[in-house]
Amino acid sequence: MNSQRDEEVLTRGLRALADEMETLGAPDELETTLLKAFRARQVVTPIRRRQLNSRYWIVAVAAMLLIAITVVVFRWNNDIVDTPRQAVKQTEPQKTRENNNQRSDELRNDVQYQAGNPLPQRLKPRRSRASSLRRPENQMANHVTNEIATDFIPLSYLNAASLQDGGQIIRVELPRSALANFGLPVNMERYNEKVKADVLLGVDGLAHAIRFVQ
Amino acid sequence: MDLNDLNDSELLRSMLAGDEDALALLYRRRQGSIYRFALQMSGSKTIAEDVTQEVFLFLMREGHMFDPARGSVSAFLLGVARNHVLRRLRVEQLLAPLGDDSEDEAASLHASTDLCPLEDLTRAETIEAVRKAVLSLPSKYREVVVLCELQDISYGETAEILGCAIGTVRSRLHRARALLLAKLRPAAEAEETDSATVKSARCFA
Repeated sequence: MNSQRDEEVLTRGLRALADEMETLGAPDELETTLLKAFRARQVVTPIRRRQLNSRYWIVAVAAMLLIAITVVVFRWNNDIVDTPRQAVKQTEPQKTRENNNQRSDELRNDVQYQAGNPLPQRLKPRRSRASSLRRPENQMANHVTNEIATDFIPLSYLNAASLQDGGQIIRVELPRSALANFGLPVNMERYNEKVKADVLLGVDGLAHAIRFVQ
Repeated sequence: MDLNDLNDSELLRSMLAGDEDALALLYRRRQGSIYRFALQMSGSKTIAEDVTQEVFLFLMREGHMFDPARGSVSAFLLGVARNHVLRRLRVEQLLAPLGDDSEDEAASLHASTDLCPLEDLTRAETIEAVRKAVLSLPSKYREVVVLCELQDISYGETAEILGCAIGTVRSRLHRARALLLAKLRPAAEAEETDSATVKSARCFA
């Protein structure tokens, strides 16, 4: 009973408070201020929009200039890097000529010898986003896409486990008789000609596998 | 076409199209409830005026955000007012105390009533006690009491304003009333004692 009476008292109290505040409102000056602000806004809006538009244009032009400068700098850097590579290319045939004079049964020694020397820069895979995403096996298989190549033939006296850390491929030219050493058929009519081969070097600098390229 | 015939949504549309009279009419229709809501929530006339101004400035700036499918313009404005009030209260940490201005305002209102001085005084004390009790509620209960009890807004519209379910409004209101009763009970008991004293005094007079 008491609680019901309390509820009634509370409701009456709340009603009394609501009635008392019923007539309250914001002062008249507030309406005047708001209407002034509204008028000012109507005038200001188009000017502000024009300013925003011009800002967008400035930002767009700046972005285009930045892109253009980036492209120019990137190409310029590439030209600088390519120049020494071309120089290396010109000296490379001399090395392969030296290899041609050696006997085919010394192939493995030749490969080891080359692996011990500093690698020519042009043979290093070029860094690019696409190539960095490829797996090493694919890099080896697609080393030169327009050539036909045998599978890599392991050089049995070496441990292939070291290839897990990576490796490099070196292009060499060998006497055609070297094919026979790996159990491949040799065309006797072209016996004196050279044959191209890719030698796979491990991080230890030793030759781990070879493949012949046509 | 007379602007008075337009509903709030149409007035808002006209206002956004640049019609100043539409803004003036919409303001006159809705400023009272917004001002009272802010005043009842904060207990401060200054905050109430600031919030009312902020709400209509927001309406000028972001009036296109109003979606008729989600509720009325009145609910939209009260929702904006609620956000502004809560932000102000958080910043100023001004929750319970009543300012001098509200007391003066209450005194000026009491003077116009037709009751005899004693009843008038009792009524004023009751209102003052209720006002203080409402202001001392946690904001989530206070806003429900202000909207449902003082502004006489339906549960459904209150739920739209607060962005919650009607069931939540009901349960919060129930809890809020219980809290108010707990706060007002000692005052009511004291009032009863006073009235008994007055009665006995009258008998012996």
